[in-house]
Amino acid sequence: MAENGLIENVEAKNILEVRNLHYIYSDGTQALKALSLGIKQGKTTAVLGSNGAGKSTLRLSFNGINKPSGGEVLFKGLPLDYSVKGLKQLRKSVGIVFQDPDKQLFSASVYQDISFGAMNLKLPEEEVRRRVDLAMKRTGISHLKDKPTHSLSFGQKKRAAIAGVLVMEPEVLILDEPTAGLDPLGVSELMKLLRKLQIELNLSVVISTHDIDIVPLYCDYAYVIDDGRLVMEGTPQEVFSHPEEIRRINLRLPRIGHLMEILHDKDGFEFAQPANTISEARKALINWKDTN
Amino acid sequence: MIYIDKYAYLSRLKQTNPLKKLVLAVSVLGVCLWADSVAVSILTLLIMGWCTVCKGGTPVRIFIRLMLVPLSFLVIGVLTIAVNVSGDKDVLVFSVYAFGMYIGVSQSGILSAANLFFKALGAVSCLYYLSLSTPMVDLLAVLQKLKVPRLMVELMGLIYRFIFVFLEMADTMFTAQNSRLGYAGLSSGYRSLAALASSLFIRSYQRADELYIALEARGYDGELSVIHEQAETHWTEYIPIMLINLFLIAVALFSKQLTGGLL
Repeated sequence: MAENGLIENVEAKNILEVRNLHYIYSDGTQALKALSLGIKQGKTTAVLGSNGAGKSTLRLSFNGINKPSGGEVLFKGLPLDYSVKGLKQLRKSVGIVFQDPDKQLFSASVYQDISFGAMNLKLPEEEVRRRVDLAMKRTGISHLKDKPTHSLSFGQKKRAAIAGVLVMEPEVLILDEPTAGLDPLGVSELMKLLRKLQIELNLSVVISTHDIDIVPLYCDYAYVIDDGRLVMEGTPQEVFSHPEEIRRINLRLPRIGHLMEILHDKDGFEFAQPANTISEARKALINWKDTN
Repeated sequence: MIYIDKYAYLSRLKQTNPLKKLVLAVSVLGVCLWADSVAVSILTLLIMGWCTVCKGGTPVRIFIRLMLVPLSFLVIGVLTIAVNVSGDKDVLVFSVYAFGMYIGVSQSGILSAANLFFKALGAVSCLYYLSLSTPMVDLLAVLQKLKVPRLMVELMGLIYRFIFVFLEMADTMFTAQNSRLGYAGLSSGYRSLAALASSLFIRSYQRADELYIALEARGYDGELSVIHEQAETHWTEYIPIMLINLFLIAVALFSKQLTGGLL
């Protein structure tokens, strides 16, 4: 697993945790039903689920925008403080990057938009500028400093949105469908960027997605939710070793995992280890060649 | 009008201090309106045109095309001023007899119409100079510095930003409707347009909610505080602007004296 920079699943503390979480919308929809899960510190965690599974509700519960109807959310082991001051403190540490950057970028100037979060922390101007420059450098958009927001490409807007959250120097970065709308190169660049940030800044990254193929490549741990409930959890490998369960809730295996499943079930191949990525499959096939 | 924005970013004057550009545009605009003189109006038009085209590098074609935008309104407005109704034929330079009276143009009518015509063009050229050389973001920073109420500046900024978002949205919706023959006939066209307008309105409403959530997630506390670039200027940089204005004022006074206040 080491080739993707994946860290072995050593016991890590939960930086965020939800316990027995219920959330009911004002129209009566029960979005979360007794959901309990933990986000490990310094890891990339995927929250998988089909449309309407409750991913978005969970995401907004993590930084206190949704106040749970029942149960509790813990940050670093302490229940969330929903006072104005408490929320401000929390949102400084738990940053959310929204799926559609146009919903997040409110300023016509890229630089100004990125400065917003840092300004809200009431930092001195030099510090704000330092952080904005650093965040732009980290996300690789320094050259867009003077560009108007509306002239950016979708991928650039996405990076600007991430930079706008990084300036607050959060400990947790939550991303909603980070790969949606990006071209193949854009997807791999963005996921590598997130991986780099996670390692350099010791960030805890939470990705809520139904882009299955990125999970075994870039995630350390995965939660599968359906209809507001936790269905499965484990490393991507563990989760994808239950294909019937995954398909029942309208998700699918990674393409490579599916191929390996077909090779096993229909063509009688016997592989020693499961494989969900190209490099894992390659290893499994070389292994198979050597033993046969 | 989106290309105004594009040219503002391309302008060679983009880096010039926006406060200077604002002061130039507003002061010349003020003098042009005060002077009420054809000569000053034409000079204003020339000076501002020169600043925009020669100094800013905006293509002449674009500048002229933009100046033509208010022209149709202007021509109609000016005609109503120039055309008079009178019972006395001699007052009018040119007239036709209809319904028992003379309809035509008088000399003073022509003069005040010409005056208004050029004054409007001169004033518009000042605004075009500003909008073709100064991106909105810079302008907002200046307004904030000039202590314009914060709420207003923030609203202007949000409106400016979301014009582009909604334009894109409307454009997508229009294409989607059009590709399903939504604009094939007149009645279906009206129906599609109504649907487009109403769903755009609802979507903007949803957008506002979503934006609020996104802002809240970044610690919004009632103020859209962002860093504004504030280039400092020395008062000496305003001397050329002062000279231009003094020149225009002098022309105004002189031409009034020369023509007895006619032009």
